Amino acid sequence: MTAALLNRADAGPVLVPVDIGHDIYAALTDPNTAFWALADKTRIAESLASGPLLDAYRAKADGFARELHALRFELKPSGVYLNPTERCNLDCTYCYLPGEQRSGGSHMPAETLLASLGRLRDYFRSVMPEGRKPRAIFHGAEPLMNKAAVFAAIEEFADDFTFGLQTNGTLLDNAAVEFLTARDVSIGLSLDGPFASITDATRRTWGGKSVHDKVLSAMEKLKGYGSWSVIATCTTENLPHLTQMVELFHAQEVPTCMLNTVRCTLPGARGVKPADGDMAKAFFAAMERTHELYHESGRKLVVANFANILIGILAPTARRLMCDISPCGGGRAFFALAADGGLYPCSEFIGLPRFKSGNVLDEGGVEAALASAAFQTVTTRDVDTFSPCGDCAIRHFCGSPCPAEAHEMNGGMEKTGAFCEFYREQVNYALRLIADGKADDYLWDGWDEDTETVFDLAM
Amino acid sequence: MTQTVQTQHQAASAASATAPTIAIRKSCNPDGIGLSHYVLMDKKAAK
Repeated sequence: MTAALLNRADAGPVLVPVDIGHDIYAALTDPNTAFWALADKTRIAESLASGPLLDAYRAKADGFARELHALRFELKPSGVYLNPTERCNLDCTYCYLPGEQRSGGSHMPAETLLASLGRLRDYFRSVMPEGRKPRAIFHGAEPLMNKAAVFAAIEEFADDFTFGLQTNGTLLDNAAVEFLTARDVSIGLSLDGPFASITDATRRTWGGKSVHDKVLSAMEKLKGYGSWSVIATCTTENLPHLTQMVELFHAQEVPTCMLNTVRCTLPGARGVKPADGDMAKAFFAAMERTHELYHESGRKLVVANFANILIGILAPTARRLMCDISPCGGGRAFFALAADGGLYPCSEFIGLPRFKSGNVLDEGGVEAALASAAFQTVTTRDVDTFSPCGDCAIRHFCGSPCPAEAHEMNGGMEKTGAFCEFYREQVNYALRLIADGKADDYLWDGWDEDTETVFDLAM
Repeated sequence: MTQTVQTQHQAASAASATAPTIAIRKSCNPDGIGLSHYVLMDKKAAK
């Protein structure tokens, strides 16, 4: 535990009131431990002064502080993003990879990919408990541009990694689906619009051709598979259509989707960045539509990026995504391997050479990269230490993502990310759902099966 | 979990004008978490 944390513990827990926009409830949080309570707005002063809430929290505060500290600073990597090629057959407006790489870059040779996975397997064996597999996700540019190498790697290392593939879906033919689903590979597709004219605004081939129908065809092929998802990147171009997006995803029986804000790391993305207020309005309308669809059909469409915010509030250690916490997961819970063998804290940094640290096949390999100054620039980005996050009551529900865009768009690691106000609104929305007893409707069934209830005022 | 909260809420609302305080925290071993927004991998990959 750091000295700063101990000093805070010595001062005793302090709860901060937060207006969440609910008719009855306000939140009380201890930002240092990510503790929260929802109290009657008319009784806030009493709740803050004394009583069963404060007594119960004081008995648990040190344990919560230790838990959050371990989550933020003591994890070892358990996942890797594998970029088996620099090339992509699409030219998306907001891509975080430079255009010259995607249009004319190189593939990683199959033998290099296999050798790299061997080194990665050895590294993960050295830091992970026996019997648990690390996650390896083939990732952008478009991994299926180098399909033979990717499939050879999945075959060769099936016993050593749990594999995933994030693909634009255009090269996902029947044989590829059969190969991947037979091996339980988790598959993620990308689609930005409910119809072609919207998808085409941001995702098209280098020649300007639409790929919308190809992605719909890939979605058809994956219907019924247990482990697939679709990402929609939210921009000015598709924001008015998010509700129709979730209707399409639900109709296509997509188990899980993500409605991600566009990452503004490279300038192209900033040209389609929505304003925070517009993003919030469209996003919450889409969330409410998923809720209606659930009640109409009995089948959930989980929006994973929001579900992760909810879980981060209800059970901080049960998060499934590691952007919304500070330091983020880049370079500490996972890292990225570029097609040239270079190591980066996250794929988001692959277009930024200063964040490259060595080669996976170098003598020092992963350990040297994790200890490098380039990685530590990211892994030491701590919302407790810079303004305005350091004084924010919800900073450990948000994490101020993302360091790459903070650095490139806002001028440094000690800056906020691109969507500060939208994150605040998401947390308020999540707390309102909890107040209304609706949180489970927005989460995976059984999301808390592996958790233990460690605080419940009603217990 | 939330169904329980809702029941408490309704019961207390009937008995008093003050809404009951809600405060819940769950915990688990964090080993094995850790991907970015760009990729989601299900906890149990299953066909």
